[in-house]
Amino acid sequence: MNTAIEIEGLTKKYGDLIAVNNVSFEIEKGEIFGLLGPNGAGKTTTVEMIEGLRKPDGGTIKVYDIDVRKDVEKVKEIIGVQLQSTTIYDKIRVGEAIDLFGGYYRKCMPTTEILNIVSLNDKKDSFVHTLSGGQKQRVALALALVNDPEVLFLDEPTMGLDPQARRNVWEIIEGLGGKGKTIVLTTHYMEEAERLCGRVGIIDHGKIIALDSTRDLIAQQKLEAAIEFTASGHVPDEFFEKLEGVSKVSRDGNDFVLQTRESSRVLGQLTRLSEARSIILGNISVRKATLEDVFLSLTGRRLRN
Amino acid sequence: MSVLTGQIRLETRLFLRDKGDLFWALAFPVFMAVLFGLIYQGESWDGMPPINYVLPGIIVMAVMSTCIMNTTTGVVSDREKGIFRRLALTPLKRHILIGGHVITRYLVVLVQTIVLIAIGVTIFEFTIEGNYLLFWAALTLGALSFFSLGFSLTALIRTEKAAVPATMAFFFILMFLGGCFFPVNMMPDFLQPVCKALPSCHLNDALRMIVIDKAGIGTVWPEFLKLGGWAVIFSGIAVRFFKWE
Repeated sequence: MNTAIEIEGLTKKYGDLIAVNNVSFEIEKGEIFGLLGPNGAGKTTTVEMIEGLRKPDGGTIKVYDIDVRKDVEKVKEIIGVQLQSTTIYDKIRVGEAIDLFGGYYRKCMPTTEILNIVSLNDKKDSFVHTLSGGQKQRVALALALVNDPEVLFLDEPTMGLDPQARRNVWEIIEGLGGKGKTIVLTTHYMEEAERLCGRVGIIDHGKIIALDSTRDLIAQQKLEAAIEFTASGHVPDEFFEKLEGVSKVSRDGNDFVLQTRESSRVLGQLTRLSEARSIILGNISVRKATLEDVFLSLTGRRLRN
Repeated sequence: MSVLTGQIRLETRLFLRDKGDLFWALAFPVFMAVLFGLIYQGESWDGMPPINYVLPGIIVMAVMSTCIMNTTTGVVSDREKGIFRRLALTPLKRHILIGGHVITRYLVVLVQTIVLIAIGVTIFEFTIEGNYLLFWAALTLGALSFFSLGFSLTALIRTEKAAVPATMAFFFILMFLGGCFFPVNMMPDFLQPVCKALPSCHLNDALRMIVIDKAGIGTVWPEFLKLGGWAVIFSGIAVRFFKWE
């Protein structure tokens, strides 16, 4: 059996709102799987149902072949969860917090080993409230590791961190992935998903709208480059769609993103067109297509807002 | 080490590290006991040292600060910070989590009471005329009713910021109308029925009856019954309306 998580027809309703709508997917053992989507798309609800924190209205969830809805206590023993915000007492030392959480599980890793993994050995006796944001995030990660879990859930693990702290956390996650842990990561940082995840599932309005490896997702959408610019003057909606080689146009006010596989050809046409029609183009940039563009191409909306 | 003793150790640590907790639990009641002790030193009320009237009221105040204010703000703050949610993801059982909260605070209640009695006995002329065990039983029953009131209040209060003033209001009403400092019969007539229905009043009466009148269970049982009644009512409310999130 190579499946770590098996989800079938998962549904969650809040009144009339269907937060998660008949979602099915599987996650392999040892995989780093990313769940992407804008806020309110249903990704946190989905993950919280897998963790047993929320009860689904329909569908089945199995973690390591254990039915979460029937045997949530067994599941808790083999999963580790890092929540979005650091949720631990202020006036507790890092080492004490790890010891405390270790005591909740039947099986637990030695405290020093956990401190090693998250590089907090020198902070063992520091109070949590004196730590920096990045260090607090690593404490949260440490608490998710106390039971040496088979499956690790990381919810926005680098939210609000500076670039250096973010890279530190990424390195730790990569290290854990190297040890064969199954990791489920929810994020809305595309570069994070691209760097860490083997496969990603994109959730929007409670449904999985795409699920594949990062590279294949970009290839499937026939995206290679994205040309971004602002256009001032009167620009009709379909103005840029007529350009040859453009596979998709997204517009947000006067900000445009053209998806293309032939960037130089499109750029040439753009310059000529703007001269002929006296439209002023500004802030033109060309970059490699990313998951962000995949999302834009699939939904017509930007992921971050 | 069992999980429950781990929780008690944790709560004790958090309590001892919080200067506000320590102030309300120990420094403030000790200050009040010494202050009132000195004010009335050398006097005699009906052949009793005044400290025998004053100290039970201060003990009730101290117990309420721990069981109501400290419990409520602690629970609301842990819930608001998402600590309950995080713990729900571990195998920790909820009754052990709550048990740790309550047992630790009950230990604080015992320490407060012992310290206050020790000060009364060593510095002033405090004596418990009645039975110590009965005194302890009344204290425990009072603590139970205050704990369950504290947990009921957490259902009404969502944020830590609101918890302090809201619990303060209950605390002051229970303290001033319940006879901690001013005898209930000094209160205006229309307030007397309210005062006499308060759990703080029942505990004050029970403790003073034991300390001053050497009362046995045969005399104080109605106060015990009323305290138990409040404990049952408040526990019912707490169980029905308590929110984990």
